[in-house]
Amino acid sequence: MTAVDPAQLKLLTDLIEQRFGLTFQGIRQEILASKLGPRLRELRLTSVRDYYHFLRFHPDAESELARLPAMVTNNETYFFRETHQFDLLIGQVIPERRQTLRDRPLRLLSAGCSSGEEPYSLSIALHESGLAAAGISWEIDACDLNPERIARAQAGLYTESSLRACDETARRRYFVPEPQGYRLRPKYRAGVRCFQANLVAPQGTLGWSVYDAILCRNLLIYVGEEAFASVIQLFTRSLLPGGYLFLGHSESLLDRKTAFAPVMMNGGVVYRKREAA
Amino acid sequence: MTSPAERLTALEAAAQGANGQRAILLALEDEAPSVRDRAIRLAARYVEPSVLGALVADGERAIRRNAGLSALERQGPYAVPHLLVMLRDPDPELVMFALQTLARIGYLPAGPAVLPLLRHRDPNVAQAAIEAVGQLREASAVPVLLELVNGDLWLQLAAINALGAIGAPEAVGPLVALVPDSVLAEPAVQALRSIAAPDSLEALLAVLPRVEERTLLDPLLLAIGVVIDFHPDPVPTCLLAGPTLAATGRLMSCLSQILAEPATDFDIGDSLQRAVATLVAAAGLAALEPALLSQLASAPEAGWIEGVFRRFPEGLAVRRDRWLADARPETRSGVLRAARFDTGDLPLLLASLDDPEPAVRAAACYAVGRLGLDSAAPMLAERLRRGEAPERVAAAQALGRLSADALAELNACLEPDGDEAVLLAALKILADRPVRALESAVFRLAEDRRPAVRRAGLRAAARLDGSRSDVLLLRALADRSQATQVEALDLLVSRGGEQSLAVLTAMLGTADSLRFHVIRALGQCRAARAADKLRAMFGECGPHERLQIVAALAQIAPPWLGEFLHQRLADPEIDMARLAAEGLADLADERALATLVTLADHPDWGIRHAVARGLQSGAHLASQHVLLTLVRDVEPVVASTARLSLDRLSPEVVRIPA
Repeated sequence: MTAVDPAQLKLLTDLIEQRFGLTFQGIRQEILASKLGPRLRELRLTSVRDYYHFLRFHPDAESELARLPAMVTNNETYFFRETHQFDLLIGQVIPERRQTLRDRPLRLLSAGCSSGEEPYSLSIALHESGLAAAGISWEIDACDLNPERIARAQAGLYTESSLRACDETARRRYFVPEPQGYRLRPKYRAGVRCFQANLVAPQGTLGWSVYDAILCRNLLIYVGEEAFASVIQLFTRSLLPGGYLFLGHSESLLDRKTAFAPVMMNGGVVYRKREAA
Repeated sequence: MTSPAERLTALEAAAQGANGQRAILLALEDEAPSVRDRAIRLAARYVEPSVLGALVADGERAIRRNAGLSALERQGPYAVPHLLVMLRDPDPELVMFALQTLARIGYLPAGPAVLPLLRHRDPNVAQAAIEAVGQLREASAVPVLLELVNGDLWLQLAAINALGAIGAPEAVGPLVALVPDSVLAEPAVQALRSIAAPDSLEALLAVLPRVEERTLLDPLLLAIGVVIDFHPDPVPTCLLAGPTLAATGRLMSCLSQILAEPATDFDIGDSLQRAVATLVAAAGLAALEPALLSQLASAPEAGWIEGVFRRFPEGLAVRRDRWLADARPETRSGVLRAARFDTGDLPLLLASLDDPEPAVRAAACYAVGRLGLDSAAPMLAERLRRGEAPERVAAAQALGRLSADALAELNACLEPDGDEAVLLAALKILADRPVRALESAVFRLAEDRRPAVRRAGLRAAARLDGSRSDVLLLRALADRSQATQVEALDLLVSRGGEQSLAVLTAMLGTADSLRFHVIRALGQCRAARAADKLRAMFGECGPHERLQIVAALAQIAPPWLGEFLHQRLADPEIDMARLAAEGLADLADERALATLVTLADHPDWGIRHAVARGLQSGAHLASQHVLLTLVRDVEPVVASTARLSLDRLSPEVVRIPA
C-alpha cells in the first residue's frame, strides 16, 4: 500500500476508537495501514475512505467490524512468553496473600488473552510451582475482545507458532499432538475460563473485588487516554484490596493519579492496589 | 474538583464564546495533559500570536510559556510575522525561543531575517540562530557558518549540523578535516552524509582505514554509502581505494561483522548493511563477497543485494567462475543471482541446472531467464512441471521473460487436473504475456472446478483479444463464488470496450450485492454512458450504494457533477457531505472554490479538510486568507493539509517585516 491520506486514516481511526476504544497514533497509523492493505485488496476497495464507508454503511458492516480488532492489533503471542512476571506472581505475590487463600481459591485475570497462550502458560506455571500440594487452588479468568480468538482459546488447540518457545520436553509434557496441531492437556485447561469481553465497555463482565492479580500486558498500548482511564478504573474495581496489576514493558501508571502504588519486584515495576481504594 | 473530561467539555463550550480566550489561556495551565493539549490546539486557532508571545515572555510560569510556544508553533506561517518581531526583543531568552519556534515551523522565507543573529553576543541565541538557518535551509548563511566551524565548541557543533542540513558542498573540505581525530568527527561525518557531495568520496575512503571505533565507523560507512549512491561514477575512486581497504584487517573484520549481525534497529541496521554492501561491490572487496552472496541466496528480504552487484558488476565479474565452483551452495546460488551472464555462458548455466542443491538449480533457472533465450523455454517448462518447489518458482519467473512464441511450451503445464501450483504459475505467466496459441487451454481452465484456478484462468483469458474472452468474463459474473464474480467484473473493466460497459450499465438494474461493485467498476472505467443512470437511481439506493455512486460520479465527471455535489452538501449524513466536499475539492472550478471558501468554518473537520485541500487550486486572496485560518485548525490533519496547500499556492504567503 502506498502512503495513506492522513485524513482518510483519521476517519477510520476515529471510528475504531469510538467503537473499540483502540487508538492508532504516529507510527502505529502506518502499521494499521499496512495491516489493512490485504483486506482492502480482498474487498476490492481502493482507499481507506472506501473501507471506512464499508464499515459504516455496507450491509456486511457488522461482520467486518467483528473481525476488525483482530486484524489491526498484534495478536502475536506464544506459550511461555515473558514468564518473569509469572515468577513474581508465584514467588512474591502469592506468598504475601497466602493467609487469605486458605478458604478460597487464588483468582487471576488475564485481560487481552488473545487465543489463550498467556492464561494457559500461567496455569502450567501454577501447576509446576507445587502450590496445589500446599493446599492452594486457583481460578483463572481470561478475556479478549475478539470472539474468534476466544473460540481458539476455548478449543485449546495450537499450531507450531504458538509453541515456538517450547522445547521437546515441554511439548510432550503439556500437549497432545493431533493432526491439526497440539492440544493442551485437559489438566492445564481446567480452572481456566475464557470469555469474550470489551474492557472499554465491560457491561458487567468483570465482578467487583474478585481478583488477587490481573495481568494486562500490551493491551493498553492500543487504547486512548479516556479508555485507558476507564480500563484502569475497571481493574481497580475488580481487584481485591492489595491486589496486583501486571502491565507490559511499555505500559505504565507512573505518571497518573490512580488507586495503584508502584512496587519494585526483582527490578520490575508492578502495581499494587491501595488497601483503602 | 471536576474531572479532566468535564473540564474538556467546558473548555470546548467556552472556546468560541465571549470569554473564550480567557478560558483557553487558563486551560493552558491545567494539571491534566489532555486538557492542556486541547487548550494548545484551541489557542493556536483562536488566540492571536501577540497574546501567545506575551505568555512566552513571562518566564515565571514555565507551563504556560511552553504551552504558548507550542501554540505558536501550531499556528505555522500565521505566527511568523510576530515571531520575527520577537527576534528584536532585548530579552535573549525570548529571542532564543522565537528562533527555535521559527525553525520548527520551517517557513523558508523567514531564513534571511535570522542572519543578523548568527553572531549574537549571547551564545544561546547564536546557537539557536545557527540551528534555525539550518532548518530553514538558508544558503546565504554558509560563509558565516564556515567561519563558525572554527569557533566556540557549541557553535561549531551547531554550525556543522546546519551546513549538513543546508547541504553545502563548499563545506566538504573543512568537515573532512575534522575526521577522524576531532571531538566533532561524528557530527562532521553526519553532515557529510547529508551533503553527499561526490567530491567527498575520495577523502572519506582515505579516512576509513584510520577509524577504529564503531561509534564513528558506522556513521562514516553510512556517509560513504550515500555518497556512492549519489556519485555519477564512483567505481574508479572506489577501485583505487579497494586494495588499501582490503589490506586493513581490522576494518575488514568490522565490515564482515556488520554484514553478519542481525539489524537490531531495522532502519539503521538495514542502511548500514546496504552501505557496506555498496562499498564491497564498488571497491571489489573479494573477501566479503561470499558473505553477501550467501545472504542474497538465503534471506528472502535480501533481494536488494542483487541490485547492488548489478550496479557495480566489475568486481564480481572477475571472480564469478571462482564463486560458481565454491563449496558452499549459498555462494553458488548467490553468484547465479547477482553476476552477469551472456549467451556464451549457457553451458556454464546448464551445468548449474544439474547442481545437487535445489536452491542452486533454482538460481540457475533464474539466470537462464535473464538471458532471455527462447531456446531455453522447453527446459524451463520442464522444470516448472517437474522441478522442486524453488525451481518451479524460478522457472516461472524465467519463462515470463521469454517471447510469446517461446511461451507456447507452457502448453505442457496447462493440463486439466494438473497440479494446482503449476497451473497457477503457468496462468500467471500468461496473464502477463498472453499467448494466442494457448487460448483453448486457458479458456478451459477459466472454467475449472477449483476457484483459484478459475480466477487465474480468467485473468489470463482477459488478456486475450476477441469476443470469446468477453463472453467468458460475462458468464463469470454469475459464478457461484462472489470473489470470482468481482474478479470478472474488474477484468471486464480493465478490458474496456463498449459491450462490457453496456452490460455493466444494464446490471445497475439488478439489486443484488454485486451492484455495489458494478457501481465502483463503472466509476473506475469512467463510464460516461452510465452517469445519468447512476444519478437517476441515487434516491432509491441504500446508503452504501449512494456513497459509491457519488464516488463513481466524481471519477466520471459528467457536466452536471458540480450541481450534483452541491446538492449532496446538504445531506443530513455527514459522510455524504464530506464526500461531496472532497468531490468539489477535486473539481476545483470557480464555483466549487467559491463554495469551499464558505465552508471554511464548518463544524465538521472532514469538510474543513476538503476545503484545505481544494483551495490549493485557488490562486486568489480569499483562498490565502482561508488557508491562513485553516493552517491553525484544531485538527492537526486539517492544519497540515492547509499548510501543504499554502506552500503550493504561494511560497511567500505572509509578509516578512523588513
